[in-house]
Amino acid sequence: MSRSRSLRLYVFSRLLLAPLMIWTITTVVFLLMRATPGDPVDALLGPRAPEAAKQIMRAKLGLDQSLIKQYIDYLGQLLTFDLGSSLASQGQTVWQIIGDHFPATVELTLCGMIIAAMVGLTVGSIAASRPNTIFDAGGRVFGIVTYAVPMYWFGMILQLIFAVQLNWFPIGTRFPLSASPPAGPTGLYLLDSLLHFDFAQFGTTIYYLALPSLTLGVLISGVFERIVRVNLRQTLKADYVEAARARGISEFRIITAHALKNAMIPVITILGLTFASLLGGAVLTEVTFSWPGLANRLYEAITQRDYPVVQGLMVFFAAIVAVVSIAIDILNAYVDPRIRY
Amino acid sequence: MIVSFFLRLQQICRQSLTRRWFSRRRWLRAGQYLGLFSLCFLLAVGCRSGGDSAGAPAEGGAEGAIGGGDRVSIGTTLSARTLDPADAYEIFPGILLYNMGDRLYTYTPGTTDLVPQLATEMPTISDDGLTYTIPLRDDVTLHDGTPFTAEVMAFSIERFMENGGRPASLLAGKIESVASVDGDLVIALQQPFAAFPALLTFSGVTPVSPEAYKLGAGEFSPTTFVGSGPYKLASFSSDVIKLDVNEDYWGVRPANGGIDIQVFTSAVNLYNTFTSGGLDVAYQTLDPDQISQLEEDAAGNDWQVIEAGSTVVNYLSLNQKIAPFDDLSVRQAVASMIDRQLISDRAFKGQAEPLYSLIPKSFPVYEPVFEEAYGDGNFDEAQKYLSAAGITEANPLAFEIWYPSSSTPRQVAAQTIKQSVEQALPGLVNVTVSTAESATLWENVESGAYNSVLSNWYPDYFDPENFVQPFLTCEEGSPETLCTVGSTQANGSFYYSDKANQLVADQNAEQDPAKRDAIFTDLQQLMVDDVPYVPLWQTKDYVFTTADVSNVAVEPNQQFLLWQIEKGS
Repeated sequence: MSRSRSLRLYVFSRLLLAPLMIWTITTVVFLLMRATPGDPVDALLGPRAPEAAKQIMRAKLGLDQSLIKQYIDYLGQLLTFDLGSSLASQGQTVWQIIGDHFPATVELTLCGMIIAAMVGLTVGSIAASRPNTIFDAGGRVFGIVTYAVPMYWFGMILQLIFAVQLNWFPIGTRFPLSASPPAGPTGLYLLDSLLHFDFAQFGTTIYYLALPSLTLGVLISGVFERIVRVNLRQTLKADYVEAARARGISEFRIITAHALKNAMIPVITILGLTFASLLGGAVLTEVTFSWPGLANRLYEAITQRDYPVVQGLMVFFAAIVAVVSIAIDILNAYVDPRIRY
Repeated sequence: MIVSFFLRLQQICRQSLTRRWFSRRRWLRAGQYLGLFSLCFLLAVGCRSGGDSAGAPAEGGAEGAIGGGDRVSIGTTLSARTLDPADAYEIFPGILLYNMGDRLYTYTPGTTDLVPQLATEMPTISDDGLTYTIPLRDDVTLHDGTPFTAEVMAFSIERFMENGGRPASLLAGKIESVASVDGDLVIALQQPFAAFPALLTFSGVTPVSPEAYKLGAGEFSPTTFVGSGPYKLASFSSDVIKLDVNEDYWGVRPANGGIDIQVFTSAVNLYNTFTSGGLDVAYQTLDPDQISQLEEDAAGNDWQVIEAGSTVVNYLSLNQKIAPFDDLSVRQAVASMIDRQLISDRAFKGQAEPLYSLIPKSFPVYEPVFEEAYGDGNFDEAQKYLSAAGITEANPLAFEIWYPSSSTPRQVAAQTIKQSVEQALPGLVNVTVSTAESATLWENVESGAYNSVLSNWYPDYFDPENFVQPFLTCEEGSPETLCTVGSTQANGSFYYSDKANQLVADQNAEQDPAKRDAIFTDLQQLMVDDVPYVPLWQTKDYVFTTADVSNVAVEPNQQFLLWQIEKGS
C-alpha cells in the first residue's frame, strides 16, 4: 500500500473514531448527572416550591419520563446539533451560552499557552543546553514547583502583589467597567480590537489579560519545560549535533536551528492536548480571577443542577478535545515519517 | 534518595561556580534575556495608557471608579440568573428589577410606609376582601415607548402567573383574575389576603412591554428588560451589567449618570478590587472577616460603612416526626440551651443580631417571645426540660444538626452550638454536626431524614405574613400524622396545627391593622408553645463605599435603591 493511501486510511479511521468518542462521553455525562443526588427541580424552584409546581416543571423538562426515553430524546437532539436550553436561565440556549462565554476562555487559554510556551521553551532549552550546571538544577526545580503549586494560590499571590499592593493590574473581568469592549465579530477582544485598528482597546485587553494569563501560563509552563529539557537533551547527544559541533557551529545556533526543531515534535503534541483540555479545564484560573469564561459557567451550571447546560458544554468540550487530538495525530503523521499508521 | 539529590545539587553548584561567570558573552546573553523581558513587561504595563483612551483612568487601579464620569461602579458576588420579571426570584435580579422597573405600590425610601407608585392611590377593597380596584397613572411610558395602561399591567401580571417561572406561585396561588375596567386595574383574589398590597411591591410584579415579551409557559427573556423604571438595561452579561438612565422617566431622575456592576465569582476578588480602588461601592457578599477588616480600615482609607438590619431570618428547624424532637420537652430544652449572642460573636463577629421570634425585628409586631419563655443559653432551664423528657447521663440526648455545605457561617454556627451545649451539659447532650450539598440536603429535609437543619428565610415581600405562613401552615395533615403536604414539610419541621392554620387564615382576612397585629402576637405565642423552630439570628447587610459616593442606603425591605446614589461633590 502506498504511503499516501495508507495515510488517507489512517485519517479516515481517526475521523470515524471522533463521533464514537463524543457519544461515549455524552452517555457517561448523561448517566452521571442522573446518578448524582439532588433533584434539579428543587434546585430550580427552591425546596419550598409547591409540589404541584414541581410536578409541572418535571413534566415540562421531561424528567418524569423513563431514563431510556430521556436518553433517546437527548441523542435525537444532539443529532440535530441542538444542545438544549438552560433550565436555570430559561429562554437561553446552550449555544447562546457558548457564544457568550467561549471567546473569553479561548482568549485566556491562548495567551496562557503563549506564555507557557515561551517560558517553558526558554527555561527548558537553557536547562538542556547546560547539563549538570545550576541552570539544569534550576530548570528541574522550576518544573517541579510550577507543577506542584496550586493554581488558586499562585493566582491569589499575583493578585495580592500586582493588583492590591502595587496596583499595577486590575482584578477580574475582561475590560474596564466604564468602557465599551471591542464590538464583534469574534468576541475575542484582542482580535476584534485589531480588526477595528483600535490599539488602545488592544492594550486595554492585554492589560486585563495579564494576570490571569500569567497565572495560567507560568503554571503550565512546567509541563513544557520538562518535555523540552528531556527531548532537547536527547537530541543534543545525536550524531548530527556532534557533527555540527565539529564543524564549529555555535552552540546557540545548534540548539535553535537544528536540535530544537527535532525536539519539538512531542512538544507540539502536548501543546495541542493541553490547549484542548484547558479550554474546559481552566476553571480554577477563571474562578480565581472572576474571568467570565465557559469553564466558570460550567461550574455554575453544575452547582445549579442545570442538566442541559452541563451536558451541552461537556459534549462541546469533548468535541474540541476529539477534534484537536485527531488534528494532532494527523499532523504528526504527515510531518514525522517515523510514525506508523 | 533525598541525600543523593542534594549531593548532586552540591556537585552541580560547585561545577557552576568554578566556571567563568562574568565573561562578556554571558553578560551579553543575560542582557538579551533581560531586555526581552523588560520589553514585554513595559508593553504590558504601558498598555495601561491604552486603557486610558478606552475609558480607563490615568492612574489608580481598575478603571471604573475614576474614569466613568458620574456613573457609579458597584461590585458584588451576587449573580443574576435571569432578568425576566416572571422568572427572577433571587436577591440580585430582584434589586436590578426594582431599579429598572416600577411597581403598583412601593415604600417611601427609608421607611416601611406603603405608598402608590404606578397606582394613583391605595386600592379600593371590596367588603368580602376579594376584589382590589387600583386606579393607575396615565403619564407613564415604557422603555420602548409603549404607554403604560391597565391592559399592560394586566398582561404583565398574567404573564407572571402563567409563564411558570420560579416566583409564579406567589400570585398564581392568590389571584383569580385580573382585568382592565374603565382604565382601572381590577384584581379578583381566590381568598382574602390582607398582605396583597405588600405582595404587589415584589420586584417581579412590574409592567413589561407586550411588544417585547410573550405570554405562555416557558416564554422567558432572561437577558433583556423593557419596563418603565428610572434605568434602562444597557448591557447584560454574566460578569458586567450596565444600566443607563431612562431619559424619559416619568418620575424623579436618578442622581447618577448610570450604574456599572461588576459581578465577581469570589468574595476575595470583590474585597481586593474594592480595597485597591477599583470600585465605588462593594455590596454583598463579603465574608465576616473581610467585613471586619474593611470596618477597621475604613477611617484610614476614607471609606464609608453602611450597616443595615436585614429581614433574613436564620433558624433551627426541629423535625417533630422522628425522635428526639417528637417530644415537646426536648424541643423546649433545645430552645433554652442555645446561646444566640455567642453564635453572633463567634460565627459573625457581631455582624448578626440574636433573634427571638421568626418575625424579624424590623416589624413592630416583633416580640422576643423565645427570650421571654426560654431565655438565652439558659442551661438550668434546659436541664429541667431534659429531666422532664427522661434525659439522663445514662440516657443522653443525641441529635444531629445539618447545614448546607456551601454555608461557612452556618458551619461555624452549628459548631458553636455543639461546643457550647456539650461543654455546659457534659454527658447529657451529644450533638453531631453534619453537612450535605444543598440540593441533596433539601431533598432529605423534605423527606424527614434529618433531626434538625440550620436554615434561613429570605422574604418575598415586606409583611409579617411572609414570616408565619411558610413556617406554621400545612395544607394536608393532622396532629397525629403531622404535615404530609405543605410548607412545614418543606421546612423540615412537619409541624401541623389546626390553630395555626386558622390564625394564619384569620390574619389574611383581617383588614383592620390592629386586629391583624393581635393575631400575629398569638401566632408568635404558638411558636413558643409548640417550638417547631428555634429562631437564632437575623443577618445584617453591609455596603462599603468610597468617600466621593453618597446617599447609599439599604432599605428596610432589603432593596438597594441605585437611583439615589450620588457620585462626586
